Amino acid sequence: MNMRQVGIEIPKVDVLEKALGEAKYGADLPCQEPLHLKVLRSPTSHAKIVRMQMEKALRVSGVERIFTAKDIPGKNLVGTIVKDQPILASDRVRYIGDAVALIAARTEEAAEEAAQKVVVVYEDLPSIIHPEEALHPHAPLIHEKGNLLLEFHVIKGDVQKGFKEAEVVVEETYTTTWVDHAYLEPDAGISYLDEKGRITIVCPTQNVHYDQKEVASVLSLPLDQVRIIQCSTGGGFGGRLDVTIQCLLALAAFHLKQPVRIVYSREEVFQVTSKRHPLTIRYKSGAKKDGKLIAIEVDILGDTGAYASYGGTVAIRSAVHATGPYQVPNVKVRSRMAYTNNSWSGAMRGFGVPQMAFAHESQMDLLAQALKMDPIEIRLKNCLRVGSETATGQTLTASVGIGETLKKVKEWRDKLSLLKDDSKKPFIKKGVGIGSMWYGIGNTGIANPSTAQMEIDPDGEIRLFTGVADIGQGSDTVLLQIASEAIGVSLDEIRLIRADTAVTTDAGATSASRQTYISGNAILDAIKNLKHSAIQEASQLLNIDENDLFFENGKVKSRTCLTTSIPLREIAKRCAKILKGEGSFDPETTKLDPQTGQGVPYATYAFATHLAEVEVDTESGKVSVNRVIASHDVGKAIHPQNVIGQIMGGVAMGTGFALMEEYVPGEKTSFVNYLIPTSKDVPEVIPIVVEDKEPTGPFGAKGVGEPALIPSAPAILNAIAEAIGQRIYDLPANLERVLGAVQKRKLA
Amino acid sequence: MIPPFEYKIPNTIEETCDLLWKAKGKAKIIAGGTDLVIGLRNGDQAPSVIIDITRIEQLRKIEEKNSTLSIGATVTHSEIASSPSVRKYGKVLSDAASEIGSPQIRNVGTIGGNIVNASPAADTLPPLMVLNAMGRVISKEEERQVPLAQLFKGPYQTQLKPHELLVQISFQKLHPEVKSSFVRLARRDAMAIARMNVAVVFQVEQSRIKDIRIAVGSVTPTPQRMSGAETFLEGEKLEEKLLKKASLKVSETMIRQSGIRPSTSYKQPVVEALFIRAMKKALEE
Ligand SMILES: Cc1cc2nc3c(=O)[nH]c(=O)nc-3n(C[C@H](O)[C@H](O)[C@H](O)COP(=O)(O)OP(=O)(O)OC[C@H]3O[C@@H](n4cnc5c(N)ncnc54)[C@H](O)[C@@H]3O)c2cc1C
Repeated sequence: MNMRQVGIEIPKVDVLEKALGEAKYGADLPCQEPLHLKVLRSPTSHAKIVRMQMEKALRVSGVERIFTAKDIPGKNLVGTIVKDQPILASDRVRYIGDAVALIAARTEEAAEEAAQKVVVVYEDLPSIIHPEEALHPHAPLIHEKGNLLLEFHVIKGDVQKGFKEAEVVVEETYTTTWVDHAYLEPDAGISYLDEKGRITIVCPTQNVHYDQKEVASVLSLPLDQVRIIQCSTGGGFGGRLDVTIQCLLALAAFHLKQPVRIVYSREEVFQVTSKRHPLTIRYKSGAKKDGKLIAIEVDILGDTGAYASYGGTVAIRSAVHATGPYQVPNVKVRSRMAYTNNSWSGAMRGFGVPQMAFAHESQMDLLAQALKMDPIEIRLKNCLRVGSETATGQTLTASVGIGETLKKVKEWRDKLSLLKDDSKKPFIKKGVGIGSMWYGIGNTGIANPSTAQMEIDPDGEIRLFTGVADIGQGSDTVLLQIASEAIGVSLDEIRLIRADTAVTTDAGATSASRQTYISGNAILDAIKNLKHSAIQEASQLLNIDENDLFFENGKVKSRTCLTTSIPLREIAKRCAKILKGEGSFDPETTKLDPQTGQGVPYATYAFATHLAEVEVDTESGKVSVNRVIASHDVGKAIHPQNVIGQIMGGVAMGTGFALMEEYVPGEKTSFVNYLIPTSKDVPEVIPIVVEDKEPTGPFGAKGVGEPALIPSAPAILNAIAEAIGQRIYDLPANLERVLGAVQKRKLA
Repeated sequence: MIPPFEYKIPNTIEETCDLLWKAKGKAKIIAGGTDLVIGLRNGDQAPSVIIDITRIEQLRKIEEKNSTLSIGATVTHSEIASSPSVRKYGKVLSDAASEIGSPQIRNVGTIGGNIVNASPAADTLPPLMVLNAMGRVISKEEERQVPLAQLFKGPYQTQLKPHELLVQISFQKLHPEVKSSFVRLARRDAMAIARMNVAVVFQVEQSRIKDIRIAVGSVTPTPQRMSGAETFLEGEKLEEKLLKKASLKVSETMIRQSGIRPSTSYKQPVVEALFIRAMKKALEE
């Protein structure tokens, strides 16, 4: 197919307003004389609230009102799946940062002063710091239903038999820690009653329709009385999938009936938004002498912190992805997620898969080492292909590009000049490492539909409606490209209306790398229906049988009479009504068996392989990543620059995950002590785009957002292991751990 | 929220001294503000007057006088890093200045601020200590010269009185044959405080070490001269084995000053290695 809009280099549609500083982020939103909101938070990680005294705080000049849990008219619990997180704690706080009161004042200063004058008397309860501790039979309960949020298994074949047949077995334990999303701007937004009296919230978010449901439930209002509008959003990475400021804003606007505004500080963002789940992964792999994997047994224990958020999702997704992109006939995975009194964990780019990839890719290298095999060869030998069956029993029928990504990386590696250590700097050791991954697009084994509309009005305006939140990754551009390609008009002829619950319908979350694939398909469906109604109308206008008409390049044409054709706009104008196509798409998946995890969790998977070149200073433990070759099977790159942008950003984030990012509740407070890579720390990236088309994807596309990050840390850690001859099992590989490994190697 | 304060912009040293005197300890000097503003924001500092000294021309100069080089207190790290005279006569200092923070920080952060903030990890301090730098301090009461090494009382604490102004740092120009180097380690390659920083200055005469000065930062409460290692090396023949032994003296001093801590098992071998590295780097340059 010759495509005009897809796969070409065009600027992102929002690029100018962002480059010029005109885009309005949360803190830039204009708002007439708003009241300022400030949250009072718990200083302790687990305590009963004995009493609160507001008198002094209320006397601060400028203070309008102080809200507590008592002021919440509806359900004071939110959460994406399990609703267990209060908007304002009523009787108990469960982590350092739990919100207990919300102050509204005429100035930010007054709100802050009042926050300091609220007296809260706490009675400390024992805190649980480690998930193992949480699961002890007599551990104090963090939530009444128990400290185990979820346990999930994937069972296939017979692992006992598998390990008996194995000729080499490696078993290790891997740990990872909390990571902050470090999105660009602290959460900020406004709320007011719109012209129809709806509670309206304008804020950064990854899912306006989810926010709407939570706010409606908290305020006990019908859905249509709540309106969420997404403002320019400087990234989310999963941190904006949960509600952050939405319900606080809504609660105040609901009671005060006047505009309100909240702006988090960066310190607040660090303290109170979700983090990547720390996982402890015990991983045993068995292989035959030829390198073929025969069995894996994996035990995963995660820390969801004080609240559920996406803990269940992460437990399930990490179990489902435990094998890595490889065929393994015998699989046994147990995955558990426990509550603790730590900061709450939530969605973060990859939902547990980056942690799992660190483990399975370390295991692959250990097997290769034990078998004296080349790391790429052992991966090629085991990798999934068309016809392979996954650990959940799904047979892959198309678009399995893992082998191709490996081959592309191998070509590069074989070209690399032999790594010679610098004789002038004998303490610098160089290494090369490989990391591969697979990633299921969309939610795991549950419905995750998207909807969209496309319409043409009699005045000739062509409109695309989507609920999709573009958080900087570029969905506005990609969805417009898909629409313009499918309908046959140029991109700038289509007006995009998006991410406003009053005018768009539910597209689901901008997460799980799903929007290009799922919402792209919903738009194609809308256009199919729009074309159909255009043909119907044209048939009447032209008095030609519908079957003789077809759609091409924005026009309805006749098959028999080559000169008969009528442009879409003309049809709408002549029949004097809006032509509309409704669309929806829900990928074909099945529910996973609750005992064995068997089923079809995703309709399609993305695949990738990275190669990292590192230098390790063996006297200080400092690692420099010099270059990453990043090869990604994305199905089809609708917007190649966007794909490359995702890969670049993914490698940067992966470098931080590998080497330095380490959130510690109560200790790491801001970018002063939470380090992420700077431009001097990120490697040169050579992106390689592999296009193994997905037949069910829009123009063959899958997704790349999360896959971009996942293989970097495993590749870097494998490269470090090669450089120093000793493996690191705990992330991040900071100065102390790397030096420790060097010393261990010397002792051995 | 930063509490309100008065903001004064004097044009002369005298005016500044007056303002400081009148404020009776309630004033804070601001130069680049890259340390002070953080303190204001997190509540560590709440002065009622802030005195901006960046308009005082006298404090902005780098001057050569006979055998000394003086640097005004508000000279920025960028200026030091690119100054031909500092590069010629005190390269160990210009090298350190060029590695501080990021271009933005170097463009506003000053050497005076770096000294008076007295962070154990401040990057210009080990170089200034091996240069035997002197500070000139002025107040309404008196004017005095202090050896920089004596200025520090503890982490973030100096001997300066609240009404005193540091106006200048000076040191004897290094001869071209003098070897020197600065070595730094941090958790990332920009915008990160030093995990360790080492400065050395020495001469080699007939393959023997002469006039050696070693200072290490970030591992003791204030940056320290490593006098044990200095005495050990003075007059000795420069050999790999000797450096190794001297490096043990460096880590001994560190442990004596800071005690054994959880981080010691990391810091001990690394400070030894970085010291040797600094010596070798000086010899190569
Ligand atoms: C992102 C970032 C990165 C940084 N990286 C580094 C780094 O790599 N290495 C490093 O060493 N530092 C670093 N710093 C710290 C800081 O930039 C330096 O210490 C800088 O030199 C401080 O100078 P200033 O002019 O900004 O000081 P200011 O903040 O203006 O002042 C600091 C203190 O000194 C006092 N003061 C200033 N001048 C005088 C004077 N003439 N007389 C008396 N008192 C005075 C002030 O009252 C204040 O207490 C970093 C800071 C930031 C924010």
